[in-house]
Amino acid sequence: MIQKLVNILLVEDDEVDVMNVKRAFSKNNIKNELFVAGNGVEALDMLRTSIVPLPRIIILDINMPKMNGIEFLKNLRDDENLKNISVFVMTTSNEDSDKINAYNLNVAGYILKPLSFEKFITSVATLKNFWSLCEM
Amino acid sequence: MEESAKSCQEELSALKKEYEDFVYIVSHDIKTPMRAISNITTWIEDDLGPDAGADILNNFTLLKNRVGRLENMLNALLELSRVNRTEMELYEVNFPKMVEECIASLDNGVNVKFHVNYNLSNENCITLGKKLNKVVFNLLDNAVRFHDKEIKNVFVDVRENESDYEIKISDDGPGIAEEVRNKIFAIFYTVNSKDVLDSTGAGLTISSKIVEMVGGKIYYTPGINNGSIFQINWPKIISLKN
Amino acid sequence: MVGANILLVDTCKTYFENAAKAFSEIGIQATLRFAKNDIEAWSMLKGDDKLLPIPKIMLIDINAEGLNGIDLINKIRLDFELKSILIFVVSDVNNSENKRAALNLNIAGYMHKPFEKGEMIDFFSTLNDYWNSIEFSS
Repeated sequence: MIQKLVNILLVEDDEVDVMNVKRAFSKNNIKNELFVAGNGVEALDMLRTSIVPLPRIIILDINMPKMNGIEFLKNLRDDENLKNISVFVMTTSNEDSDKINAYNLNVAGYILKPLSFEKFITSVATLKNFWSLCEM
Repeated sequence: MEESAKSCQEELSALKKEYEDFVYIVSHDIKTPMRAISNITTWIEDDLGPDAGADILNNFTLLKNRVGRLENMLNALLELSRVNRTEMELYEVNFPKMVEECIASLDNGVNVKFHVNYNLSNENCITLGKKLNKVVFNLLDNAVRFHDKEIKNVFVDVRENESDYEIKISDDGPGIAEEVRNKIFAIFYTVNSKDVLDSTGAGLTISSKIVEMVGGKIYYTPGINNGSIFQINWPKIISLKN
Repeated sequence: MVGANILLVDTCKTYFENAAKAFSEIGIQATLRFAKNDIEAWSMLKGDDKLLPIPKIMLIDINAEGLNGIDLINKIRLDFELKSILIFVVSDVNNSENKRAALNLNIAGYMHKPFEKGEMIDFFSTLNDYWNSIEFSS
């Protein structure tokens, strides 16, 4: 799906983590357009008003103000127009409850943000390879 | 009387809640800025390029190494606090297969000879597989990691007793000096300075907490040629204390 | 992945055998299990032949003749114990209706089915790297 240049919505409140994703994308030569929402409410709004055009996938943090990642996922799956979007969780939370909740809401993957930037580049490379297998 | 039992119960659940919140804060809220330090360090290093000068680059390496240690310690604390909460599935474990998989997943198994010996009437047992795996892996990893000889021998001996499995993991490495033997199960304790051998010092603490949870025993005895022997008695029937 | 079960649902036993060979060649430590249709798969997930541990990953050919993949995914999504399974759909034919239905059931990926040996190795290596990079609940 990367070939068709899917639009990626990053839902993330931490400025450094946003920079991190941008930098790792450019290191991996990922050219997809990246949209950023600072929390779940903002993300839903950007999807509903089609600020993020189709086709699209979501990279989602869990701990965020206003509406956290799990609440956002519930809203997404309850919305007929948005429920089929692929979601990849990218978080610091290694809590089992977050993993269970996320997989129960059928995310396509749950990725822990590693400490080192080098490892993060590798995670993103793996993700890119996986995306290249998938059709939308 | 009933009143006070009830208030005790309430206090206990409040404390439990506080503890869980604390663990969550440690796991998320502290890790985010910690990761930012590590990442921004890498970016600056990257942006400066290779001409930044040896001193500067060396300091970057030190900075990242120490943040790495901080992360390992936080992760170890979290793991310790979760020992009796996660990976609690009972399933059938095949002893030889489990040991083989542990050996295969060691990242430092070069120049190591493993001598494995089983004395089992049944190779399979239903137990907390992930926990047993963790303990065996930790002990094997230690046996190899702290070994000081060119050619390393590591022995695994599993014997089935009437009510438990006796697992002995021994090596012909340097052993542990008598005066520090009572400290090895303490968290973050390492026999060597962390600058000599970078390890977190949590493996034995976590292992002993697991063994204690299942109602078993773990202890150290000095082996032949000064090597180490760690013996675990892992009960066949696991009764979990709350 | 050690000790985990991965369930492959495909009408062709030979395909399973080839996939299992690719698994061992790559060194994937999970055990690949086989169900020849949705009924057999359901019995391995929920019935008499229940797999333990319950697979966290499934691979389903949804367009194979004699296999109702969409129905199977639907049942999985409605089951409390199974709904979190990560489902990868593979197919070698174009059936946009099935594809849409599968995507609506929040599969983890809809992918072109590999057949030739080298292609299979590449495919499962990429998937394995991905599985190893993500977290599963314990």
